[in-house]
Amino acid sequence: MVPQFLIDIWDSLSQTSIWIRIGLAFILLVVLIGLSFWQKTKLESKFFWSFLRGTIQVVLFGSILGLIFGVRKIWMLYLILFFMCLFAGFTNARSYPYPRMFLIGFFAITSSSLVIMTLVMFSYVVPGFDGIIPNETGTIAGLTGEYVIPIGSMVISFAMRVSGIAVERAKSDIIKSKGSIEAALALGDSPYRAIQNILRDCYRAGLTPTINRVASLGIVTIPGLMAGMIIGGIPPVEAAIYQIVIFLMLLSASFITSIITNILFTRQFFTEKQQFDINFLNKIAKMENQTTRTLLKERWKKWREKIKRKKNSVETTE
Amino acid sequence: MNTTKGSFSSLFSLEDVCFVIEGKVILSKINVAIDTSGITGIIGPSGSGKSTFLRLLNKLISPTQGIVKFKGSDIADMKSQELRKEIGMVLQRPFLFKGTVKSNLLYGPKIWNIDYLDSELVKLLDTVSLEADFLERDIEGLSGGEQQRVSLARSLANQPIVLLLDEPTTALDIVSEEIIENTLKQLASEGIKIIIVTHSLEQTKRLTEQLLFLKEGLMIEKTTSKDFFERYNDQEIHSFFKNKEGK
Repeated sequence: MVPQFLIDIWDSLSQTSIWIRIGLAFILLVVLIGLSFWQKTKLESKFFWSFLRGTIQVVLFGSILGLIFGVRKIWMLYLILFFMCLFAGFTNARSYPYPRMFLIGFFAITSSSLVIMTLVMFSYVVPGFDGIIPNETGTIAGLTGEYVIPIGSMVISFAMRVSGIAVERAKSDIIKSKGSIEAALALGDSPYRAIQNILRDCYRAGLTPTINRVASLGIVTIPGLMAGMIIGGIPPVEAAIYQIVIFLMLLSASFITSIITNILFTRQFFTEKQQFDINFLNKIAKMENQTTRTLLKERWKKWREKIKRKKNSVETTE
Repeated sequence: MNTTKGSFSSLFSLEDVCFVIEGKVILSKINVAIDTSGITGIIGPSGSGKSTFLRLLNKLISPTQGIVKFKGSDIADMKSQELRKEIGMVLQRPFLFKGTVKSNLLYGPKIWNIDYLDSELVKLLDTVSLEADFLERDIEGLSGGEQQRVSLARSLANQPIVLLLDEPTTALDIVSEEIIENTLKQLASEGIKIIIVTHSLEQTKRLTEQLLFLKEGLMIEKTTSKDFFERYNDQEIHSFFKNKEGK
């Protein structure tokens, strides 16, 4: 039997109007690719594949949204959030394919998002929430996917974005300031203190856009969530306060993520003997001029060679 | 060429030291002892491993193979930060930190909880021939020579017993070069041990008492400066300085 959500997708795709919209969106995508080509940003394939992937994901997700929104069991809510973090870590590692990036990004995003989401889930922020004691079926009154998952998605996507910015900024600043860092090490400073200024700049770079958004709330930025709530009949003051709380959560999650990401990522630049890890530095510097695609291709090639070598050695011993 | 000449008590000793990076041999089987008196120069053509050699001494890098000893102890067993307090280093470029001259001078002492009065900092500036009014000046407004002198004073603020210098005058004018050389001579006379990497034969003649000659990662010679310049004429010395590419 065909699942209902697939039938729904099929019904939507059989309408002519949807194809006109897809066509219009496609024209915009072509313009984007054209601009990228003109400015030699090498983002053409990234634009195409991320939009294709995003479209498929959002269509599938939209179709099963009803199911997810109906989830009431706490462990299932956590499981969904965990999978979202896993996917965020994976997406991060693809965009910034530096050594151990998946583990670093995944750990940073998961720890910050889950801490913040736990606070959210058990702190009367969720509108329908009215008690922290789960009942015998493992559910808490008012705590449903309908409220938790959209907030989780915002927190996780912010954390993912900030984690990427933090890593990219830290990497290029450390390479650029190698001499100054070495001068500080030569004076007896620890690597962590020697890069304090760089880390500070990374946090500022990652958090400033969100701070600016908060500062321009209501004048430049009209948040979709708040607008939706008001349209849905929730009093404007309540919706506004809810929105402010959400922004504070996003900032907290972003800050925690960038701290964890930066500490774990920048540690790799140094050895235990408080020296620059020259091999890591060279590896990262080489990556500077390579596109993600070439890097992934290289990794794939190396992995295949490794498997081949293993196979050959097994055959020889036999 | 002769190898080691003269006998000195060792400040540093390197035993079978090799340094290889990404399969490229930078230093190979270095066996040498560096004595505790006067200024020691490290000379050799470009790419001979001089800077690498210097960085091994304060553990900014570690040898791929072999042992580096400082005052008889393997530096691998010493805490890097404490070792670097005793062995100061001045790099080719000053790499001053954002802020004033004073904040730069106090960078090391803050790590080591060494208290400095302003009058002591002025004295430190005087050592490198800078006026007292430099103390509150922002580093942005300093010339290259002044910056390098601040960098030298910053290393001295840690009160090191050894000072390593990696071509400190390469980018400087003659006047600044002379000031730095005079400062180094003064420091050496006060008992600070100085090891300097230089590509200038004139500077080697003017400054150093002992020298180590490196070529293509090998220790070619360790001798006194006087002996080196007496034994070889300019043409021979220039031929030593040609590397594989003839540069």
